Amino acid sequence: MGLIENLKSYSEEIQISDDKKDLLDSFLSNGFPTTKDEEWKYTSLKKVIANEYNIENKGQVVDDSVIEKYSLGFENQIIFSDGKLINTPTIKGVSISGFSEFESNTNDSILDLNKSLSQNGFTISVDKNTVVESPIEILFISTTETNFSQYRNLISIAENAEVKFVERIQNLNNSSSFVNNFTRINCDKNTKIEYNKIQNNTSESQLIDTVNVYQEQDSTCDINTLLFGGSFTRNNLNFEQNGFNCESNMNGVSVLDNNQLADNHTFVDHKSAHCRSNEMYKGIYLDNSKGVFNGKIMVRPDAQKIDAFQSNNNLLLSENSSIDSKPQLEIYADDVKCSHGCTIGQLDADALFYMRSRGIGVEEAKAVLTYAFASEAIENISVDQVKLLSKKLLAQKLNVELDFSV
Amino acid sequence: MLKVKNLKAGIEDSQILKGINLEVNAGEVHAIMGPNGSGKSTLASVITGKEEYEVVEGNIDFEGDDLLELSPEERAQKGVFLSFQYPVEIPGISVSNFIKTSISEQRKATGMKPMTTKDLLKMMRDKMELLNIKNGYLSRNMNQGFSGGEKKRNEIFQMAMLEPKLSILDETDSGLDIDALRIVANGVNKLKNKNNATIVITHYQRLLDYIVPDFVHVLHNGRIIKSGGKELALELEEKGYDWITKESDKKWA
Repeated sequence: MGLIENLKSYSEEIQISDDKKDLLDSFLSNGFPTTKDEEWKYTSLKKVIANEYNIENKGQVVDDSVIEKYSLGFENQIIFSDGKLINTPTIKGVSISGFSEFESNTNDSILDLNKSLSQNGFTISVDKNTVVESPIEILFISTTETNFSQYRNLISIAENAEVKFVERIQNLNNSSSFVNNFTRINCDKNTKIEYNKIQNNTSESQLIDTVNVYQEQDSTCDINTLLFGGSFTRNNLNFEQNGFNCESNMNGVSVLDNNQLADNHTFVDHKSAHCRSNEMYKGIYLDNSKGVFNGKIMVRPDAQKIDAFQSNNNLLLSENSSIDSKPQLEIYADDVKCSHGCTIGQLDADALFYMRSRGIGVEEAKAVLTYAFASEAIENISVDQVKLLSKKLLAQKLNVELDFSV
Repeated sequence: MLKVKNLKAGIEDSQILKGINLEVNAGEVHAIMGPNGSGKSTLASVITGKEEYEVVEGNIDFEGDDLLELSPEERAQKGVFLSFQYPVEIPGISVSNFIKTSISEQRKATGMKPMTTKDLLKMMRDKMELLNIKNGYLSRNMNQGFSGGEKKRNEIFQMAMLEPKLSILDETDSGLDIDALRIVANGVNKLKNKNNATIVITHYQRLLDYIVPDFVHVLHNGRIIKSGGKELALELEEKGYDWITKESDKKWA
């Protein structure tokens, strides 16, 4: 038995529409992607899906103390407890409700599975000209043992609106949970969005997280992925730029130890001229951890005057850690500026000695240098609480008591 | 304060220091001069604990502690400071953050209470004034994009903040124009007191016009071949190194 069998028996019990049933059946006959699939070449789901899972949420509603523990304390909180929406904030110019049906527009079997099974998630619409001052915090809390859950979320931001999000998925028990989370973000003209993902789930947690962003003219969308916890994480970030003067920014920091695996897959589809994309991913790998980075930039034939920048820098802090990094550029326009760079290395021995000669202990010196390495991406985050938490989690992960907050 | 006895050290198979004897007392300024490749920087590296160097013989006593038994950070915590010939760039960490970490780690190690942010900032401002350092400097990344002069000034700034007992200035004058040299030397002189000591390593006599040494030692081929007062530096400036190095080469041939 394994997840596929669990899903098969579940599919016989549930009542879903014919369309969804077809999607599910086709998924079940093909199975999860394997390493033979180009997009999953370095990341094997084999172990993840060998586990048994509960497909339905059967947990208890959590109390406030739990929420307090995992929240950053923003006034606007959307909280899910075992899939149930238990708190929605009231914000002027913003309507927030639970799950709704929508298309994913991407050919991805994981998203087909998500569509066929999803019953939970949020729907957010931000009205024209609305500027939401305080970030909207989204917490997905799960208490169900060995749960395989799907969330399907839609964010639509109307013209000239501005909004920031902080999202966290948290499992409250140490069973191996698996989340398939999908968020679609529609950015209308001249909108500004920042979406921060704090991924610090328990050591048995597994996650496939997909965000599809559709941008119209003059919109800016930043997605920051701060990855510290979880045993298996696959992040898919897809941007589609459909109008002039769009800007897509991605910052990623992954700090992994033990046997953690994290795969950051990004795709920027420059379909329109005079647009920009900036991508900065920093990976820090300790112990037996493994990282994968795949960054694809596509510049379509009519998308002239594109400025696309991508960097992926990796620190291997142990003999047994590894990273597979693959930048991919496909450029069909002739007047564009694209650059990409990938580095893999260790801490600089001269810098280490320099710090030690100033009285800083070797572990602390390593931590400071590692922090310095990651800080370039962390500093791009505009939400201070997220920045601070990232620094705190980084120090924790490196096992030092250092305050990086000044 | 510092007693170096018959120190022999090298890197991999080549022996660089071939028996150094040096005693530095509190309140003194020693200059170590010598041609390129004589072992000046190696001596500084061995005293501060750079791991590539292997000590094969001799010992270094610092106020009763055997320095060679201590890690680089422990040496710094005891009060040994090196102003690097080539300060290292550390992108991603600001000067203030670096110094704050350094001070708090040193205080932690020596059992002192942490400094309050207010006191730390006041001290930084005072020392910046001493070294003619402009505002905005503290938030720059450590040595990143600094000119040669700025890097050296940053070393002396750290020295001023850490208040070491023994400061070793390794070629602090190289890369400095005359104005920067004056400011740096002035800073060093003001930090000097009867409880601390300074070793100035230099190739040229120029710096010694501003930081006047009590003793001058000439290092050649891994040995101190001549020691004297400040007038020895002037003699070297006038005659070059040949007249003593030839003599020494004959002796050790």
